[in-house]
Amino acid sequence: MDPLAAIRDTFFQECEEQLAELESGLLAIEEGDHDPERINAVFRAVHSIKGGAGAFGLEALVRFAHVFETALDEMRSGGLAPEDHVLKEMLRAADLLADHVAAARGGPEVDMARSTLLAAELAALTGAPLPGEDDGEDFDIPFEVVGFNGPDLGLPDLSDFGGGGLPDLPDLGGGDAPDINALLQLADDVDGGPNTFVIRMKPTRALYGHGNETALLLRELRRLGETRITMDAAILPALDALDPAEGYAAWTVELTTSEGEDAVREVFEFVDGHCELDIRPAGDGEPVAETAPEAPVLEAVMPQPVASEGDVDVAALIRQAQAAVQDLLGNEPAKAAQPGTAAPALVAAPGRPAAPATAVSAPAATIRVDLERVDRLIDLVGELVINQAVLAQRAAESGLARQTDVAMGLDDLEQLTREIQDSVMAIRAQPVKSVFQRMPRLVREVAAAVGKDVRLVTEGENTEVDKTVIEKLSDPITHMIRNAIDHGLESAEKRVAAGKSAEGQVKLAAFHRSGRIVIEVSDDGAGINRPRVRDIAASKGLIDAAAQLSDEEIDNLIFLPGFSTASAVSDISGRGVGMDVVKRSIIALGGRISINSTPGKGSVFTMSLPLTLAVLDGMVVSAGGQTLIAPLSTIIETLQPKASEVKPIGPAAWLMSIRDSFVPLIDVGLALGYRTEPVDPANCVALLVEEGATRAALLVDAIQGQRQVVIKSLEANYRHVVGIAAATILGDGRVALILDVDAIITRRTVDTVPASFAA
Amino acid sequence: MSKTILTVDDSRTMRDMLAMALNDAGFNVVQAVDGEDGLAVLDAHSADVDVIITDINMPKLDGFGFIEGVRKDSRHRTTPILVLTTESDGSKKDRARQAGATGWIVKPFNPVKLIDAIRRVAA
Repeated sequence: MDPLAAIRDTFFQECEEQLAELESGLLAIEEGDHDPERINAVFRAVHSIKGGAGAFGLEALVRFAHVFETALDEMRSGGLAPEDHVLKEMLRAADLLADHVAAARGGPEVDMARSTLLAAELAALTGAPLPGEDDGEDFDIPFEVVGFNGPDLGLPDLSDFGGGGLPDLPDLGGGDAPDINALLQLADDVDGGPNTFVIRMKPTRALYGHGNETALLLRELRRLGETRITMDAAILPALDALDPAEGYAAWTVELTTSEGEDAVREVFEFVDGHCELDIRPAGDGEPVAETAPEAPVLEAVMPQPVASEGDVDVAALIRQAQAAVQDLLGNEPAKAAQPGTAAPALVAAPGRPAAPATAVSAPAATIRVDLERVDRLIDLVGELVINQAVLAQRAAESGLARQTDVAMGLDDLEQLTREIQDSVMAIRAQPVKSVFQRMPRLVREVAAAVGKDVRLVTEGENTEVDKTVIEKLSDPITHMIRNAIDHGLESAEKRVAAGKSAEGQVKLAAFHRSGRIVIEVSDDGAGINRPRVRDIAASKGLIDAAAQLSDEEIDNLIFLPGFSTASAVSDISGRGVGMDVVKRSIIALGGRISINSTPGKGSVFTMSLPLTLAVLDGMVVSAGGQTLIAPLSTIIETLQPKASEVKPIGPAAWLMSIRDSFVPLIDVGLALGYRTEPVDPANCVALLVEEGATRAALLVDAIQGQRQVVIKSLEANYRHVVGIAAATILGDGRVALILDVDAIITRRTVDTVPASFAA
Repeated sequence: MSKTILTVDDSRTMRDMLAMALNDAGFNVVQAVDGEDGLAVLDAHSADVDVIITDINMPKLDGFGFIEGVRKDSRHRTTPILVLTTESDGSKKDRARQAGATGWIVKPFNPVKLIDAIRRVAA
């Protein structure tokens, strides 16, 4: 990969981190934490983004970041107080900055009207002027001609004129005032020829103290053109009185160059103030001192070392020093050492994306690893599990006694394999924080759109779940929060009238329970309006108008497809994305969702999901001669049906009575098309399953056992089949299909046997 | 023998960009993530570090504090230190110089100017 492209990726990753820091920092400041370090940190976040953006030429982003940075700089220097309205402005700016980053990354375009407005508001906070449209990196510096220290153009000296008009200048474009641009053009033309300067410099102690070196300055001058260098060593003391940190020598350099004076001054840019410096064009003032030929300049003026008894070595040292300096001045400008020189272990390899790099400041021991490698590892471990199962099966089938070394070894292997699998799955486990982090902004936007005051509380953001699940959590959580704010929470007036605070609260929590991850979205709003929900469901034909439904059943009506309480389609929730879509996406993950609501107090939506999508605990069953897997999480109990308990209610539909209630009995073999004739339920086994609040009994031929299986995608290898969620490979090498229990229960049309699921 | 440059910057992007430009020019690079880390890394690799490039705004210990710390180390009183500054901030350049900086590089940096600046301060 092109190294620059890799760094660009790094930049955008870093932007995400900085944006997160920025938001949490601003929220903390809003809460009252005015610790200077906190304010510094948010400043740095924007400063970093701006810096990197500048390097990649992302102009719009740089411009906005600059205005934002200026405001934050004001705040951290105490010039702008962190008042509530200021922080709200900054939070809005943070959201827009995120939009700019997303746009720079190739995402949707930024709402420029909003951006310009916000930029103006930020600038107003600090009284800073707005950068103009076509400024780019450098903002316009007013240009003044303060003098004209250049080579002699043959023009009359302008400073000679105390009053009165200007002299007749060569035609510079007409008018009374000289045309600056034409003047400069003239100067440029003249610059084409060689200029001579006389430079006098005397370094002070400060120059060396800052790591600058005279020899390097002289070398730079020599790069500009021909030089004659003389050193005035008048005040150079004897060696024993010499303070190496002090500057004694004064240098005169006669330079002939095609560059202008600016280039000469630039050489001394870093040492401005650290040495006495005089630069003037030759022929302007004092005569240039006669100099000895260049190379031996130093020897000629350096006082001869006094050779005495103990000084013999010193003399040699000084000669070596002279030689070294001459080397420096006499050589071509140093070429960089050959690239590809063997680098010591300290070298940081630039932009190689696949290589894991150690974090330099590693107090917590973490490493960055390419995700592809982790995914591959997980796949391989999955294969390992399958292979081990096959091996165990073959060993058992071959009649291997359980007490033999081989059999026990295989048991150990199984144990080890499980442990490896658990460890590897843990690598990919991530805290839900990354999903939770997007929610504060969502809450701000939705609340603003519906005109409510909402506070978001989050809990358990460090709860971990497999990466495959994390990415899929975002949409359901987003919809549930939107729903809570739009429909769950009442308006401020209603809340106050009901004795609640005007500000509504939405709580987002995550925690582990019974080997699954549970996510709860709760609000302290008015709760489900049950009469209204009932009426709507009845009017849409989803329930029979006279049906008797429990509170819980009414609550769950909102999950039915085609149900939407938005009478005016509000921009947010009513866009055809109802709770049924949410439920379906959760079920597709092997999860469950339920609702618990108290009128006047609020509602709680509870989502539970498996910790990983890669493995599944399942019950192996046979139906119609096929081996199938039913997810253990859906099974409540297994039953042996008695003829008396089964009641037919149609040509191919039955009910089964379980204790005091009836549940639909579904012949799985028939439903999936493995059989065309129903079987006698008394010869079968029924699995009582539950999805959400719906229960059913699945009729299968027999139960073969329970096992953990590695999930293989059916879509990736074949295509989506209704009623089937995925596939796996069993110990004997056979492929077994994993049932999509929800699809089977809700009676969606099955390919091969439509008659079984007639409307 | 190629020179070793210590780069101190809290931005990963900036560290990577500097490393790329410096490695291309044949320099070895050692990195640190803030001023505090910079002093620690300098201490560990003291004999090898020939030039230091540092940012100003960093957590824990900023550029100014870092430069002062470096100058207090007798081994590095005259080691060239270049600070990364944004063009518009003259006061930062001055403060950096007061702390002991040798010169500066303007951000966003042009790789040619970067190598130029290093050449101007290092033999």
